[in-house]
Order: sequence, then structure tokens, then C-alpha cells
Amino acid sequence: MKLRKIAWRNIRRNTRRSILSMSAVAIAAMTFVFMFSLIEGMKQDVAYNLQTFVTGEVRIHHSEFEKYKHLNPLHLGVDSYTKLTARLDSMDGVRTISPRIKFPTAIYKEGNTYRAQGQGVDFEREAEYQGLEEYVVKGRMPRNGRNEVLVATGLAKEMNLDIGDNFTLLTQTRGRGMNAITFEITGLSHYNFGGLNNSFFQAPLDRVQYFLRMDNSVSEILIKLDDNHSAEEFAAGLDRSLTDWGRPQLEARMWKNISQTYSFVVMADTVYFIIALMFFLLGSTVIINTMMMTIFERRKEIGTINAMGMTGPEIVRLFFLEAFYIAAIGSFVGVLAGIGITYPLSIYGLNFSAAMEGVDMEVSQILRPVLNLKSTLFVFLYSTFIASVASFIPSRKSAKIEPIEALRAI
Amino acid sequence: MCTIPKKRQKILMITGILLAVSMLSSLPLFAISAEEIIQKLEENQVHETSRSEGKMSISDRFGEKVTTFKSWAEGEEKTLIEFTSRQERGQKILRTDDEIYLYFPDAAEVIRLQGAALRDSVLGSDMSYEDMTGGKGLLDSYDATLLGTESVDGEECYKVELKAKGRGVAYPREILWIDSEMFVTRRVHMFSLSEKLLKEMRMEEYRSLKGKTFPVHFIIEDKMKRNSSTEFVIESIEIGVDIPASRFSLEELTW
Repeated sequence: MKLRKIAWRNIRRNTRRSILSMSAVAIAAMTFVFMFSLIEGMKQDVAYNLQTFVTGEVRIHHSEFEKYKHLNPLHLGVDSYTKLTARLDSMDGVRTISPRIKFPTAIYKEGNTYRAQGQGVDFEREAEYQGLEEYVVKGRMPRNGRNEVLVATGLAKEMNLDIGDNFTLLTQTRGRGMNAITFEITGLSHYNFGGLNNSFFQAPLDRVQYFLRMDNSVSEILIKLDDNHSAEEFAAGLDRSLTDWGRPQLEARMWKNISQTYSFVVMADTVYFIIALMFFLLGSTVIINTMMMTIFERRKEIGTINAMGMTGPEIVRLFFLEAFYIAAIGSFVGVLAGIGITYPLSIYGLNFSAAMEGVDMEVSQILRPVLNLKSTLFVFLYSTFIASVASFIPSRKSAKIEPIEALRAI
Repeated sequence: MCTIPKKRQKILMITGILLAVSMLSSLPLFAISAEEIIQKLEENQVHETSRSEGKMSISDRFGEKVTTFKSWAEGEEKTLIEFTSRQERGQKILRTDDEIYLYFPDAAEVIRLQGAALRDSVLGSDMSYEDMTGGKGLLDSYDATLLGTESVDGEECYKVELKAKGRGVAYPREILWIDSEMFVTRRVHMFSLSEKLLKEMRMEEYRSLKGKTFPVHFIIEDKMKRNSSTEFVIESIEIGVDIPASRFSLEELTW
């Protein structure tokens, strides 16, 4: 009890120096509250983008498709898909599904050729699955059964196209032949990530099936689940069911096992953990320096209290407590400042459009950091712990001061 | 004066006879130049006008696909191909001079292929649109060199190397094995600028009509694709038929 009081009094004896030490820890803590929130935001953003636009939470695919993906093997699809969607619609845990056909294509417009990525979708289903209407920035959604198309703004800009314009696209059919069809643009869409905006368009599934000669097939079915269902368990169960339903050539996989982007973000999380450690150690050097200076300045005082009966371990505890209080206060202030910076950004977002230009990953151009209680608490405890432990080195030195030598100067 | 031993005299005499025989046997083959061989080949294989029907069988790692077609041609520079198989019914490819136009029944515009798109495969086959261009005679675009003779499928052939004069051809270098009697190609190798073998064409069957002999069954292999080949079979052909000039026009293409 006495030691705590002395430690606290010592901190207040040189307020300016104590504040400086606290600031070092606070800046490190503030930075990492923000960085961990940004990574958390990125994780959630990538998960949403993947689940909505790329993989679903669970994807049904032909098991050979990935192997020959570079050859656009449309014949390795999900045949008689309507029978399968009827089963899936009635399954427990399924929130919404999206049958799709993805195909690379060349667009011909006034003698110029543009490479693009097409997607055949059921627009009635996509309104629920993607919330597609939110992304339509001009015009309207195409109607099923018509040669209408929704074009991403980047692609439309590149081709100098607008609502009401037509374009002809040429692509490989399911039978590995060629076919071309002309579509009318009824809407322009703008997505969060550049990969889609630069080369993407969506057309009615039935028209895409017709011109790709797909009959009643799609290239994949994406599934979103109710919140209380695990994608991993659902995918495993569905994979077994597909075999029972006489479709052993199909497989169901959960989203984390399909795309590598999420793995990269998770990897970044780990890298940030290591960088955070470095930052906190760097911040701790200020505390170490302060403690060393304090010990040097208080040599006489240490000698006096030693002569009065305070033992070496008690002196170590005294200085350790001082460092601990500085670290804890610094961390607390830093965490509060971090929350203060992160919270408004979590609402308004950070615009990375320029940095993300040309990056073909499922990461949005506007990222919103997400405050996470776990990571925020972790930053507080982690920075306090690292700074306190680092101060242990100079604290130990204080115990080695001989009282006679220290008092000789009086 | 030195005298040659009798044994050595015998060897020299046999060698001389063998050399003379081999030179005499090769005389009729090399009495013709590479340019003349190519001219004879083109006289034989290029028709003033022709109308044909056939099929194209594409084999790759995913199986076999058969496409049927009708074709009209005028000289080397004009060709119209109309596909008749169910999946491609109504699709047409028109080649006039060095231009390639594609017509698809569901497309509102005719597609004129140019640039990198010419390297795309025709209906997933081993033949590219670029292979169909270059309507001029071979000697206009290539320098020909006779490399010698080789036997192909048991038939004596001239081995002729073609090197591109400029950049406006699909292949900078080709080697043709041309039958020394029929003046038809038996095999063709197409190379890239870096001397890599890109495609091989093998002729399997010929037909003679109105004094001309030409291949009606041949196989193309794109060496850049694994386990892929395309077999062309001309099932019926008429040469010297009347074809209206409008057949090769863009207006007619869309009808």
C-alpha cells in the first residue's frame, strides 16, 4: 500500500517527464487500436464482398471446374439447376440463393475490342441476394427474358457507353463453339471494389443460358445462410447430400476455402500483431529511458530508503509500479484516443480509391474500420504489459545501488 | 609419276559410280526451283471458284465436337463459311482480302476481327482466324528455299522452307512437304519468330477434280494446346461453279 503511494507520488514529482513517457505508450496504443479496427473492417468487408459477389457463404460447383477454370469450361456446370434450387430453397438454414453463370467475353464496339467479365443472374433473386438495386447508380435493373444488361460504371466509361446504348459481345459457348449477342444497357452499377467496376456486367440468366447454349445449366449456385448457421458445417452436410441426390460430380465448399483474399487479410492481421509488438517495444524505450534517468537522479534517495530498511526487492517493486502506472495510464489514454479517431471513420469511411486503383482484389475502395472490444482490450493489456516488462530492466538496477556509496554524496 | 594401288583404284571407282548414280537420281527433283514448286502447288490447290460442304471435328481433353459447314470460295482471297450444325446454325465467317467478318444471328452488328482477336480460335478449333487471312499468293509474302527431299507417308516430297518477307503474315516461318508428283502439301509445320513449332498440318486424303488434285481430309494440331487436334473433312466439293459476287459482300452476310 505504501509502495503504491510512493510510486504515485514519484510520478507526479516530474509531471512533464511522466506525460512524455505516457505519450509514447499512448501513441502506440492509439495507432494500434486504429490499425486493428481497420484490419477488422477489411476482414468484414472482404467477407461481405466474397459472399455477395464471388463465392457465397457456400458455393455449389462442378468438382472439376477449378482445375480447368482457365479454359472457361462451361460444360462443367450445374445441370438441371432448377431442381437443385427448389431443394435448396426448402432447406433449413438457407437464407437466399443465387444461381449464376460467369463467363469471360470480348465486347465489340465500333471496331474496338474490350475484354470483360460477364455474369448471368436471375435479377429477381439478386434483388434479395446482392441487394442489387443499391448498386444501380443510373437507369434500372434489366428484366429477365430480355436482352438487357447492367454495366459497371468503369466498363461503361471505358467503352463510352450510356443507358440505351447497345453492345455486342462474343464468347465461347458451353459446347466450346462461339456465339455473339447484342444487349441494350438499361442500367449502370457501381460496386465498392475496383475489380468489378472496371470490367463487369450482368445480364438476365435466361438470355445468357440461351446464347451460351447452356440449356438448364448454370456454372454455380451461391448460398447465403441464416445468421445462426455455420458455413463450414452446412457445406459439409450439403456436400454429402449432393452425392445422395445423385450429383456426385458437384461439390459444396465454404467461402473461406475458395478465395485466397480472405487468407491474405487474416495473414495481415498476424503481421500487424508483430508490428504492434515492435511499436510497443519502441514506445517502451521512452519509459526505460525515463526510469533510468529517475534512478540516476534518485541515487541518494534510494540509498536513504535502503538505509532506512527498504529491501532490494521492494525498491524494484517501487520502480516497477511507477513504470506500470505510466504504461497503464498511457495505454488507457491511447486506447481512448484510438476509439475517438476510429469511431467517426467507422461511420464515414476511409477512401482508398487512388491506392486501390488497378488492384484486382475483393477489397472495397472505401473501408470502414470496425471497433472490436476484443482487439481494443488486447491493445490496452498488451501495451501495458510490454511497457511494464520493459521497465523491469532499469528497476532491477535500482536494487543494486549500494547505500554507503549513495549516501557518501550527502 | 606415282601409281595408285589396285585396291584403292577399285574403291575410288565404286565411290565415283555411287556418286554419279546418286547425282543422276536427284537430278529430276532438283531441276525445279522452290518458286516453281510453290506455283505448281497453288495452281493445284487454289480454285477459281468452289463450293463445298464438310465437317470439322475438334478433339481436346474434354472430348470431341463436330461442326458442319458449307463454304464458298473465289480464288485465295474470298471465302464464305456458313455453319450448319445445331449449336452454330446460321453463323458465318466472311473473308475478303485480309479482312475477317463474323456474323451471328443474335448479334445486331457484324463483327470485324482485327488485332489480337485474329489469334482467337475458330469455334474452339486448332485453327485461328489469322490462319484464314493472307489471301495473297505464298510467293508474295514469303521467300521460298528448297531444302531437299524427304519421304512423308511413303511418298517422295520436296521440303520447302518459307520465310516471311514482312510482318503481315500469321507465321514468320513455315516448312512444307510437297508431294513431288501430285504437287499437293502432305505436311506443313508453322513456326514462331523464336523458331518454336506452333502448328502442324497433316494431309490424310486427296481428291482429283477437273485436272486438279487437292486435300479433302486434313488434321491441324495447335502445339500450344495439350491433347488438341482438329480434323477437317470436305465431304462434297464442286469447282468452277458460278458464284454471284454479292455472296462475298457484307450486305449478303446478314441475310
